Amino acid sequence: MSETINGVAFAILAVMCVGGAIGMLFTKNIVHAAFWLLEVSVAAAGLFFILNADYVALVQLLVYAVAVAVLMVFSIMITLRRLEDAIRPRDFSALAAVLGVLFCGVMVYVLLAFSAPAGQKLPAVPPDIAAFGKLLFAVNGWALQFEIASLILVVALVGAVWWTMEGED
Amino acid sequence: MNWLLAIPALPAFAFIAMVALPRRVRNNILWLPIGAIVGATALSWAAFAQVWPGGGELTSVAWNYSWVLGVVGGRPFELGLQLDAIGAILLVTVTFVATCVQIYSLGYMHNDERIGWYYAVLSLFTSAMLGLVLADNLLLAFVTWELMGLCSYLLIGFWYQLEAPRKASQKAFLVTRVGDLGFLFALMVIYKAIGTWELTDVLSSIPTWAPGVATAAAIGLLIAAMGKSAQVPLHVWLPDAMAGPTPASALIHAATMVAAGVYLVARMMPVFLAAPAVLQATLIIGSITAIVGGLLAAVQHDVKKVLAYSTISQLGLMFMALGAASVGAALFHLVTHAFFKSLLFLGAGVIIHSAKTQDMREMGGLRKYMPITWITFLIGSLALAGVMPLSGFFSKDEILAVMLHGHNYWAFGVVIAASLITAFYMTRLYFRVFEGPEQDEHLHEGHISMTAPMVALAAVTCVIGFSSVRFAEFLGHEGEWPSLMLIAISAAVAVVGIGSGWWVYGRRSVVVNTRVYKDRLGLAYGALTQKLYFDAAYEILFIKPFIFFAGLLAIFDSSVIDGIVNGVARGWIRVSSVSWTFDGIVIDGAVNGIATLSRQAGTSLRKLQSGRLQSYQRLVLSALVVLMVCLVIYVVVKGA
Amino acid sequence: MRVGLEPFLILAAVLFSLGLYGAVSKKATVMLLMSLELMAIAININLVAFSRFVTPRTMDGLFFAVFTMVVSAAEVGLGLALVLAIYRRSRESEVDRLSQLKG
Repeated sequence: MSETINGVAFAILAVMCVGGAIGMLFTKNIVHAAFWLLEVSVAAAGLFFILNADYVALVQLLVYAVAVAVLMVFSIMITLRRLEDAIRPRDFSALAAVLGVLFCGVMVYVLLAFSAPAGQKLPAVPPDIAAFGKLLFAVNGWALQFEIASLILVVALVGAVWWTMEGED
Repeated sequence: MNWLLAIPALPAFAFIAMVALPRRVRNNILWLPIGAIVGATALSWAAFAQVWPGGGELTSVAWNYSWVLGVVGGRPFELGLQLDAIGAILLVTVTFVATCVQIYSLGYMHNDERIGWYYAVLSLFTSAMLGLVLADNLLLAFVTWELMGLCSYLLIGFWYQLEAPRKASQKAFLVTRVGDLGFLFALMVIYKAIGTWELTDVLSSIPTWAPGVATAAAIGLLIAAMGKSAQVPLHVWLPDAMAGPTPASALIHAATMVAAGVYLVARMMPVFLAAPAVLQATLIIGSITAIVGGLLAAVQHDVKKVLAYSTISQLGLMFMALGAASVGAALFHLVTHAFFKSLLFLGAGVIIHSAKTQDMREMGGLRKYMPITWITFLIGSLALAGVMPLSGFFSKDEILAVMLHGHNYWAFGVVIAASLITAFYMTRLYFRVFEGPEQDEHLHEGHISMTAPMVALAAVTCVIGFSSVRFAEFLGHEGEWPSLMLIAISAAVAVVGIGSGWWVYGRRSVVVNTRVYKDRLGLAYGALTQKLYFDAAYEILFIKPFIFFAGLLAIFDSSVIDGIVNGVARGWIRVSSVSWTFDGIVIDGAVNGIATLSRQAGTSLRKLQSGRLQSYQRLVLSALVVLMVCLVIYVVVKGA
Repeated sequence: MRVGLEPFLILAAVLFSLGLYGAVSKKATVMLLMSLELMAIAININLVAFSRFVTPRTMDGLFFAVFTMVVSAAEVGLGLALVLAIYRRSRESEVDRLSQLKG
């Protein structure tokens, strides 16, 4: 891959991301919304790929596109009693719209007003997975954070099991 | 020649466009997928012209182009397409049948409210199949292979409100998954051996492979092909798959997807040649499938199931040809079979559509009401039975000739027997449906959109047989016309098969009372109606033990694991009761003091707390945004 | 066409705003969780883009992105478990009808 980011690829993926997000928010069917989220995750993984972040892209695919989406679909299916329950009114909230537009406007303003020119050039060294892995497990690298992250996952796992078990019998 | 990319891309584009649109719009733009497949057909012919006149080495590639998608782990990750003789033939076949089926579906599915979705999945399927045919890379082949499995699942379960299609789709998905694992295994073996999945590299490097690699890879590929092409013992999904819409069955479960297994073995033939034992296994599996499928077809009462078992049997014949290392004969039978079997399925669709039943015991005398269907179905049946000038005759003869040349006399006998059974059950089907007493007066011929594709397929079926010599030369073989002896043998087989079918089912003077034959066959007939106990065997072998082990684990869980957990819990309670005393005296005093303080604070803040999750969340997020805006304003003002 | 850092950041801002809109406006609990996921994805795009453009050698952003994913995976797991638990108890999966948070 050359040392520039392909504009066409970026444009396609960006359209996929934003289109998927809009589809997720404005579809009436909650099951379809889960699939739109899946599409956004896959597009985001594509973005990570063109940013040479192979590992993050693969994790994104595995965690979001597979695990999270499946989890979503399952819990939707469990909480739906009938097929028709999946169809729901498009909730609209003026406050939410105002907040969203305000946030977006401020962010874009800040970006355009304060961005440093250094961020424009693409550095020549693409990171690779081996170096990433070495840093991840280095003691003076990210090993401690990694262990904490795994602890968080274990706690979340136990908590999730405990919550869902409650009220059974 | 980069326009070749458009062949799979056109239907894929149709799929994406259809899925993105709302249902109401989707249902009204059926011209889009049909236009896409017609375009793909035209391009396929152009691609075919590029390979014409063929005749080179089977593995020689006419065109190849790879797109580098990125760098993964330091290696360039590329996917690409290639065109060769095998690919060109399949391109033309697949697109032609797909076009016929899509036009036919206009009539067959016209009042289904999810017709748009149906067309979308059909397009995705076609795209995946064309991608598989053109793939220059085993990974892309695997992806498209899985996509086809997914589409098959979606189409079998198209009427998901009904019980049978739902179950059948799950069964198909799970059974073919067993085969897909074989594919995955082969992929790993090959990558481990040579570090690439490029087809040309894989096929050219076979002599350098370590011993055993070719065998392992071939076993994986064979299992994959058996799953997809419904070979015994993985054939159980195909008859159930008939619960899907009939045109989809015609395209997927008769003409194209089930042929993908044959295609895969044909494409990877050098691997199989390096593993003669697996090749022999292919021959044996094909023989068993050809006979079992034929026998089962002879006892079914459902029109579509007869055709489904017949498909299994014919796929078995193709596997036999592959097992005899004859790619040419296998592919030629694949092509002719694709045409006449999809024709038969489309005919069955018209019959089902009109008679409102699939059980042929409730049919009869349809000939008068639907002349076009009658003629085309008859042509298809005769082709399948292997009658002289029609396509099935030539392709079956080629397989016979291959067996004879290879001195595989037992395989030769198997092919003869399979043809005999084929002729018998097709005669039975024909007489049951089209002749005999009429059962219903409300019958009508299919709509023109349904009959026109059938006429086109019938026309192809009539003429394509004569291309057999040219076909073999196109693939780089010596082609020859069937010898007189073979013609005599297969004519005799067809006559005996059709004659016995007529004797049992066709004679007007005899009241059709097949009970007699059934009683005489006794146990054998019972075994056949139970599908030779394949499903029952799977129930006993896999499902029952699974439930049994699950029960065992549950017992273990409740006695051992729960015991440990409870023991730990009890110990913990002891410890806590000690600390409880301490707690009550010292801590409580401090806590109560703080609590009094915070209660007073809480009362005043109470108005903010509605207790509603939604309003909390709004508050938090609004505060966040407001804070951010304040920050930005502060920075801007300070900076200015 | 060359793409610098800013398009990625703008894309992430737009995605985040959409997620924000969803998180505030949606009534179904599962939809709410999905909106939060959307925001997490936007953040990750930011992190990875910064990592590629600003710290390509140390890859700090990538590690942050991975940990964000861990946290949001945990969050989704817990959130959905909570949805199921609440659903079991009250047969309710709408956020705006959950009003038992007050003591």
